[in-house]
Amino acid sequence: MKTYVGSGDRGRTSLLSGERVEKSHGRIEAIGDVDELNSLLGALIAALPEKEGELRAALQGIQADLFHVGAWLATSSGSPTLEMLHEIGPDHTKALEAAIDRIEAALPPLRSFILPGGHPSAAWAHIARAVCRRAERQVLRLAAPESTERLNSVIAYLNRLSDYLFVIARFCNSLHGIPDEVWQK
Amino acid sequence: MTISSSGNSLTGPFTAELLRRSWLSEKTFELELMRPAAFQFRPGQRIRLLHKGVERDYSLLSRPDSPRLGLCVRHLPAGLFSPILAAAEVGTSFAFTGPHGYFIFHRSSRPPVFVATGTGVAPFLSMTRSGVAGFILLHGVQTAAELYYRPDFGAAASLYVPCLSHASPGSALPPGAYRGRVTDCLRDHLSPGAYDFYLCGRREMIRDVILLVDERFPGSLVYAEIFY
Repeated sequence: MKTYVGSGDRGRTSLLSGERVEKSHGRIEAIGDVDELNSLLGALIAALPEKEGELRAALQGIQADLFHVGAWLATSSGSPTLEMLHEIGPDHTKALEAAIDRIEAALPPLRSFILPGGHPSAAWAHIARAVCRRAERQVLRLAAPESTERLNSVIAYLNRLSDYLFVIARFCNSLHGIPDEVWQK
Repeated sequence: MTISSSGNSLTGPFTAELLRRSWLSEKTFELELMRPAAFQFRPGQRIRLLHKGVERDYSLLSRPDSPRLGLCVRHLPAGLFSPILAAAEVGTSFAFTGPHGYFIFHRSSRPPVFVATGTGVAPFLSMTRSGVAGFILLHGVQTAAELYYRPDFGAAASLYVPCLSHASPGSALPPGAYRGRVTDCLRDHLSPGAYDFYLCGRREMIRDVILLVDERFPGSLVYAEIFY
């Protein structure tokens, strides 16, 4: 199966809702950020210890959800295609919050900023977190003129996902006995 | 630890029994599978057949309320899946997932233009059988023998143009046919304007039509289903 089509060689691409747009279009920028985030989750998963099957499954579930996020971003408001998309809504965000609370309860309380880094898996989680924040900002730019409820749900999801990745970074370090490196002012 | 609230929109796998196979031409056949009661789809969508670790997507020909699922299959003797389907006995059960894809019809103020190559005509047949009408359809095939569904589009299409890419110069053409590729037909005969293009078939056709749309039909929307 060939992976290329070649219809984007002149700098334009199609949205799921049918419009032809420049590849510098805000939606394509946002989709690119989500794609980068998804790839970084792949790197994080690859750096996890073998025994962390549960966390691996959780992260792969998020990867699948990010494909749905991409579909939302590729569909303009008012398009009938929206009816066919899988919702990324408050339930997804609440599931992240529950996971954050559960993991954080097993970690030492945090009273200061920490330096991103530590074990490679934690470092990947921090990079993913930063890219997630960027994706969120990019979606915010889309949402400002369109202000759709569904895009707002995506923004809330990405916001919570970056928090989740912060906690996962700490969790990965704790798995390897690496303490948080506190920022010394 | 489960984070995703699951939300996979895919359903299945389902199991469907092969009810009938009929050859439409030397290289193409139609299959009918029993539709599982729980399986729902929208005209234009496809299913993914699974068999011994191999999987392949096929667009559905049938109406969503039909008790049978119709597939149009190009037989590629060296292919991974079509030889299995070509040889399977009636009564064989196949697993599948679906529905897949977003290739459905959207009503709009722009005229719809359907462009298919070969068996890529399948989703348009499902749409037509479900009541979609008033479209222009260009069906690219090598020879007239592959225009197996032409009668089905007769009343629904405002214009149906078979495009015969391998018709030899000077040979007789079926009524209303165009000698050449669908892209050439669009370039030569479609009036300037904004349309809703629906493309289904080979990647080369999809690429060429999209580039043509950017060049000649600005303001159009493009929905594409690529055959891999």
